[in-house]
Parts: sequence; structure tokens; C-alpha cells
Amino acid sequence: MNNIFLTIADMLRSLFLGFGLSEYVVELVMAAIYASVVFALIGLLVLILVLAERKISGYIQLRPGPNRVGPHGIFQLIADMLKMLGKESITPAAVDKWPFVLAPILMFVPTMLLYAVIPFGEGMVAADLNLGVFYFIAIGSLTTLPLFMAGWSSSNKYSLIGGMRAVAQMVSYELPLIFSILGVIMIAGSMRMNDIVLAQSGMWFVILQPIAFLVFFISALAELNRAPFDLPEGETELTAGVFTEYTPMRFALFQMAEYGNVFIMSGLMVTLFLGGWQAPFGLTFIPSYIWFFAKVFMMIFVIMWVRWTFPRIRVDKLMDFGWKFLLPVSLVNIFVTGIGIYLFQNF
Amino acid sequence: MCKDMTTKEHTLKTQEFTLNIGPQHPSTHGVFRLVLTLDGETITKAESVVGYLHRGIEKLAEARTYTQVITYTDRMDYLSAMLTNLGYVQTVEKLIEIKVPERAEYIRIIMAELQRMASHMVAIGSYVQDVGITGTSIFMYNLIDREKILDLFEMVSGSRLTYSYMRIGGVADDLPLEFIPALEKFLDEVPASIEQYWALSSKNEIFQSRLRGVGVISAEDAINYGFSGPNLRGSGVDYDLRKAEPYGIYDRFDFNVPVLENGDSLDRFLCRGAELEQSIKIIRQAIKDLPEGEVIAKMPKVIKPPKGEVYHQIESSRGILGYYIVSDGSSKPYRMHVRRPSFINLIPMDEMLVGLKLADAITVLGSIDIVLGEVDG
Amino acid sequence: MYGKGLLEGMAVTLKNFFKKNVTEMYPEEKPRLSERFHGSFVLTADKCIACGICSNACPNMVIKIGSERDENKKRFLTSYEMDIQYCLFCGLCVESCPTDAINFNKEFELACYSRQGVVLNMWKRPENINSSNEG
Repeated sequence: MNNIFLTIADMLRSLFLGFGLSEYVVELVMAAIYASVVFALIGLLVLILVLAERKISGYIQLRPGPNRVGPHGIFQLIADMLKMLGKESITPAAVDKWPFVLAPILMFVPTMLLYAVIPFGEGMVAADLNLGVFYFIAIGSLTTLPLFMAGWSSSNKYSLIGGMRAVAQMVSYELPLIFSILGVIMIAGSMRMNDIVLAQSGMWFVILQPIAFLVFFISALAELNRAPFDLPEGETELTAGVFTEYTPMRFALFQMAEYGNVFIMSGLMVTLFLGGWQAPFGLTFIPSYIWFFAKVFMMIFVIMWVRWTFPRIRVDKLMDFGWKFLLPVSLVNIFVTGIGIYLFQNF
Repeated sequence: MCKDMTTKEHTLKTQEFTLNIGPQHPSTHGVFRLVLTLDGETITKAESVVGYLHRGIEKLAEARTYTQVITYTDRMDYLSAMLTNLGYVQTVEKLIEIKVPERAEYIRIIMAELQRMASHMVAIGSYVQDVGITGTSIFMYNLIDREKILDLFEMVSGSRLTYSYMRIGGVADDLPLEFIPALEKFLDEVPASIEQYWALSSKNEIFQSRLRGVGVISAEDAINYGFSGPNLRGSGVDYDLRKAEPYGIYDRFDFNVPVLENGDSLDRFLCRGAELEQSIKIIRQAIKDLPEGEVIAKMPKVIKPPKGEVYHQIESSRGILGYYIVSDGSSKPYRMHVRRPSFINLIPMDEMLVGLKLADAITVLGSIDIVLGEVDG
Repeated sequence: MYGKGLLEGMAVTLKNFFKKNVTEMYPEEKPRLSERFHGSFVLTADKCIACGICSNACPNMVIKIGSERDENKKRFLTSYEMDIQYCLFCGLCVESCPTDAINFNKEFELACYSRQGVVLNMWKRPENINSSNEG
């Protein structure tokens, strides 16, 4: 049961080898299959996450959320997608055409690229790079630019303010994000994702690095534009902020990118701090990918719970908090970790 | 180089731009327009434009009899309809010089204080929602409690928002038998709910950092501008019409008036919250002392007050609500003018906003707690 | 501790997450209305003496009454029309009727698709004056 996906992959590989194709072509075909599986996974996950957000917000507010379309509203997102596909796609006359059209697509592409390096289970990584964490951070920080493109090209003052805020926020919170991961890398000794997961066999890193975990969580919320940091899309101040001029299908791409990002950032959090696909307390009879998804959904629940409780921070306080509080704390964490490792190795 | 960064003259050329927070906006509580001139995110000039909801109620009142005008006063401040009704009928009673029976006075106090609670609940909930859309959770809890109040009102008057329950000389109908037990059940359940609100709003550090020090108005400025209601008491001025110039039978009740010192948005918010608890206290006392008797005085079918003019004011949930009626002896008022608290409270806003950030504009507007039906009349 | 208020808020939302919801599922569950609910109108034409007090009491001139005198010089009602689009549902007509002929009922689903068809509620009594008419 644990290795069901690996077994399927082996069967497919031997099937293609049986057709008489060379090794190289078989690897390409397998990579294409992995990619399409990842696409399908993203599509399915976005469906689940959007519904989960609406249901969780409903239950917190003592109301049922969507429950008309299908039992417990599971087909609600399909109904929404069909509605969005039927809407007219308006491009206002004064926009800057190419950034306007490209922004949603460029927002979605890094999300897809990030799914390649997270280990979903034991041995289930699409591309096991040596520099897994580095790749993740590098590609992950590409999400700033499409938001700014959307804000600038919309030629709408609300979008412009939203875009400026987006750049300020996301650039400021990159640094605490990276520095909080450095502690984990120092302890694990490698940047490959699988090695980090295996290094947590003894004890999960959330116990060894609690402050780094908190800093990472807060910075991740800021990177994802989720409340309490959802300034670029400040709905009560700027109507829809960056997304004001976007008609449904393009807006849907932005939303898919956002929920895809939520999942994969939680995936990173689970991999780095919460033991990845490893089972706690030795309960290994449950397959590793089920553990991974369970942990990720638990983190997503926490993210949504935080979202529906807190109001929004003001822009200057946001910058204060990021530069004057989170960054020094993460630097201090690195020092303490370094000293801790030195003492641990010598005594 | 360092000196250039700290002075106003930037080495980069910047430009101010105008942003229109238009009549359609998620957080102006109604159709209200605010034209801001921004330099980056800082406001340099603000101008508010009202009048999008003007319906000519004061003019319409000149063509309706005194009883018919009661139904129009409901629609002005639709979130505290009982209080607007109360102000009007007490003004006409002052003109006719008629005494209201005791039972009617106590019923009026119960209704007025329940209405004050409902209005403050909406103010609190929608304000947290303005500060961050995802604070909607607290708005839902507020609305659930407000539903219970509206059910109580429906039991008595038949409507949920615009009651027209007060009449000149008393109230329209007596309380049904199931009202007092339902009211006591509500009063037992509601303090626990109110505790929940504070955990999500005033104890929340993010909320406090958004509101502390924003939109400060000093006590002297507040008095000069004619601020009233919880806005005035948040700036340190201890003036509540229910204690200073009691109308009806408010002098028989024992309650405190919360007054806070700093004059910023957080104090105005906390003042409204504290008034919720005081209203519960007043209602409990009124239930205990409720006498039997008539609910309306003996009035002629057609009300014709003597010639003259009168002005009377009450403490509504948004401030001091005043009515000025001129009568020429006929059955319709010659002129009615309403001193609407939301309109007068909006006046200093243009000056309060200069120097604040864009997000603060919404914060300050919400803390003054306006209702557009009352602003435009 | 600095974040204490934040954690209290999160505890409140989590507690409410597990509570039962308070929504009334509308078309399946109808709301429970009180006795005095101001819904639509019902006219008991037998009791109506066509005095016109309700029409004068209405702030918006919603009620239009047609009446005639018979051979004993007594008024009787021939038509009673209410233009609901202008009605405030204030209840002054119900309160002022001396014979309790017009009353509220509990019907609140008054929306319709055309202005002429249903919005202008008309109660036209048929020519024989002995039948009672409901809305």
C-alpha cells in the first residue's frame, strides 16, 4: 500500500521499455506523465481548497456555507467555473495590453513549477534536485512581479495602490522567510528535500526550531497575500485592489494560482518542519502520502482559521513588523542554532 | 544625500493624485462619496460629498398629519427606528402638553434601550468588517444577537426594521404575554455573547494597532464642532442627555455613562461597547418596575396642536437627535426640522483625515458611525 | 505576553467552528412569524362600511375606495383597491378601522414578475354585495 504509486510508475516504465524505446525517451515520457499528474493534482486541489475555504469560513460564522449544489456543496466550484466561462471577457480600452494579459498566466506558471520538488511520499518526488530548497525559494519569489504587472497595467488608481503595496509587502517578507529556513538547513546539512525529511526521523524540526517555525508561518502568510496581510487585495479599502479590472476567467487563474500557492507553501512547511511524509509515533501502517496530505491539510486549516479571525494590518505597520521585528528575530535564531550545533557536536 | 531623504523635497519627481471613494464602495455605510487627494499613501486633502440618498422627508412632513409623520421618521435612521420615533412623539407631546401614562413610559424605555443595543451591535460588527474583510466573523455573531432583538420587536410591533410603534401620547399596542419571558431569556443569554466580541475586536492586537491614535479629536474641538453621542464621550467630555437633561423617566434609573480619554477611534469603539452593558442594566430595572395601566393617553382622533414652536432633543444611539416643529394650529405641521446627529458628526471629518494614510480614512469614517439615511434625510 | 489577544480570538473562532449553525434553510423551512406580523392585507367586505377612514389615514394614499349610497342613504362598498408598490406596511389603516374590516395576514412572499399583473392589488367586489372577499 505504501508503494502503490511507485509500483505503478515501475510498471509503466517497464511497459514503455517493452515497446523497444531507448532509456532516454522512456525517461522523457515518464517525466511528461509526472507533469500531467501534477497538473491534474493542482486542478483537483484548487477545487477542494476553494470549497474548504468557503465551508470553513461558514462554520466559523455559524452558517453552513455552500450546500445547495450537490451534497454539502461539493459541486459548487464546478458551477462557479461554468458561470465564469460564460462571462464576457472585457479588456478596458486604456490598459497596457501585454502586461495585462500576461499577468494571470505568469502568476500561475511559478506555482506549477514549484510542485516539482516537494516529496509527496516516500520516493515520490517529481524531480529530486540537490538544491531543492534553493529552487523553491527562487521560483517562489517570482510571484511578486505578476501582481505588480496587474496593478500597473490596469490603469486604475485602486489597482495601482494595490500593486505598490504588493511589491512592498512581498519584498519585505522574503528575507525573514529565507533566514528562517537557514536554521533548518544548518541542522539537516543539505538542501535536498528528501534528506531534510529523513533528517527528521528522530525529532521533528518544529521542536528544535520553534521560533523559526513561527517566523516562517508569518512570512508565508505575507507571501501568499492571505489575511491578516491581504493588502494588495484590500477588499474594503480598494474594492478589489489589484484584481479590480480583471474579468472572470483571468481572475479565476489568479485564484487558482493563489490556492495552488497555499497548498505548496504548506507543503514546504510540512516538509521542513513537520517531518514530511514520515509517520509520527511509528504508525507506519498508514501510507506515507496519506500522512503528508493529512499534515498539509491540517496546516491549511490553521491558515484559514487565522484568516477568518483577524482584521488587516496597515501598510506602515506591516513594514515595521517585517523589518524591525521578524528579520532580527530570524538572524538571532541563526546564531543560536549555530552555537547549538557546535555545542552538540563537541559534547 | 541623507538630508534629501528626510526633507519634503524628494530628488525623485512625485505627483499627487485624486482617488474617488465613490458612492458604490464596500465600506462607506451607504451611498457616500469621499474625494481624496493622495501623495503616495498619505492623504493631503479630503472632501466629502453627501446627498445621494436625499428623499425630502422634512418637506413631505409638511403635507402629512402628525400621526402619519411618525412613519416617515422611521426611515431616517433606519437602524435605530424606535429612537427616532421616540424623539418625534416626545416633541409633539411637549407642544400639546400632554402627560403619557406610566406603563407607556416604561415600555418606551425598554424599547429605546433595546434599540440602542441593536444599533451598537451593527456599528461594532460592520466596523470590524471595514477594518479587514475577514473580520466578518464578528459581524455574524453580532447579527445573530441582533436577530433576537428584532424577533422581540416583531412580537410587539409586527415589523423588524421600521416599526412606527410610538404614538403621540403613548405606544401603539400593549405588550403581548410572551414578550417579557422572551426578553428575560434574551437578557440572560446576551452577556456571554458580548464577551465573545471583545476577544475578536478590542483585545486583538492587530485591531488595536489599526485604531490607536487614529482620528484624534480633542475635547475642545469636539464641543466646538457639535459632536455628540459616543464620539463625544470618547474624547473625554462627560455629556449624556439621559443624565444631563433627562427626558421621559430616565431620572428614575441607575446607570453609568462610559467616558474615555484619548479621543481616537479605539476609544469611540470601546465607548459603544460599554454602552451595551449599561443598556442591559436599564432594561432589567425597567422590567422590574413595569406598572399596569393604559398604554396611550386619551387623544382626539385628529391631533391639532396649539400654535407655536417647540424644540426637543433626545440621546439617540448616534448622538443628539433634535426635532424642531412649528405648528400653525392645523392638523399638519407647518415646518419640521430634524437635527440629525450623523450629518453633524460628519463635519469635522474633512479635517481629521489630513495627514493620515488611506487605510485610516475608512477607519475614521467607520468610527464616527453614520447612517446615510440620517445624513441626507 | 504580546500575542495574547490574538490567541483568545482564535480560541473563540475555533469554539464556534464546532457549534451548530443557526441558518434557516428558507424554502424548506418557513420562518415562524409573530401574531402581529405585518404581511399582506385581507379585507372582510361584510364588515366594511366604506367610511374612508383607512384611506385618509394612509400616509402614501395607497388605498382607493369606491362607494355608493343605496336607497336608505347608507353607504356601501363597491371597490377597494390597494397599490402595494407604495405601501409602507405601517399599519395605520388597520389601526384606524372602526369595524376591524381590514387586517394583516402572514403572507410575505409578495414579489411578482410584472407591474400590472400582481403588484397592484385590487379587491373588486362583484355586483352582489353579500359575498365576502379575501385578498
